Amino acid sequence: MDGHETTAEAEEVPIPDIPTRIRTGLSAGFRTSLKIIKVSVPLYVAVTLLKGTPVLDLLGKVFAPVMGIFGLPGEAAFAFVAGFLLNLYAAIAVIVPLHLTPFQVTQCGLMMGVAHNLVVEGGVLSTTGARGGVLTLCRLVIACAAGLLLRGLWSLWETAASWAMTLPGLS
Amino acid sequence: MDLLLPALLGALQLSAKLILIIVPLVTLFEVLRYLPVFRRAGNVVEPMLRGVGLTRDAAIPLFTGIFLGIAYGAGIIVRVAQQKGLPARELFLMGLFLATCHSVIEDVLIFVVIGGNGPAILGVRLVLAVLLTGLMARVWKPA
Repeated sequence: MDGHETTAEAEEVPIPDIPTRIRTGLSAGFRTSLKIIKVSVPLYVAVTLLKGTPVLDLLGKVFAPVMGIFGLPGEAAFAFVAGFLLNLYAAIAVIVPLHLTPFQVTQCGLMMGVAHNLVVEGGVLSTTGARGGVLTLCRLVIACAAGLLLRGLWSLWETAASWAMTLPGLS
Repeated sequence: MDLLLPALLGALQLSAKLILIIVPLVTLFEVLRYLPVFRRAGNVVEPMLRGVGLTRDAAIPLFTGIFLGIAYGAGIIVRVAQQKGLPARELFLMGLFLATCHSVIEDVLIFVVIGGNGPAILGVRLVLAVLLTGLMARVWKPA
């Protein structure tokens, strides 16, 4: 039964040859890249320029208590706003000029990987018939849980690593 | 002006990195997507799916979401979900899994490029997705 359905699906669209597929892939890839760059270049430039002004510092201080829970600086809140409303590429355009530590970049990658592009993807999730609003809320909660988990794991790892270094015969 | 030039240069550098990830990835996907391996993969993953409360009908939309992402895989996810008439329970479980763990290749790569730890991001997301979905599958019993 299942096999029949998949073959029927395959017959609907004739399979293009490899050169055609490569061309399709390249042009789709460049079109996607262009869309992303149009958003990320202005954002990157804006954040870099704002970094020299007190505006970013001030707003960063406002968000510092919340972001601090996850081991992130207050300024990272902007990356979260960009990631939640737009996508990860917008978030990255904000993250790079902030010069975060490897842990902080990983933390952003994890938390935003779970919760990003909430408007568009929430719409997609609800068209499948699942409750989009509930799932979007779940994503935010899961992102926070993942963030706390990673913070714990990372400090555990660092403690273990520094402890291992003190052992005789190592380092 | 002294600030604008390095900002623009940095932005272009980042764009170049992103293009170098996106274009090969999309091209590779276009080349591979018609391979019969992906159509038969349903049998192999069935036992794993059962663990998180899903049936093989959910395999194609689930794996599309895991590898491609929700926005990019939307067409396939929506179409298959409607064609197969997935029950509400399975749709929710699939949604929960995908909410936590989707578009893993692209998402992880772009954060690795800017200095993140790939295995840490991927590991935590995958473990959380399996745990949460498995837990919910046991809380929400099939009708």
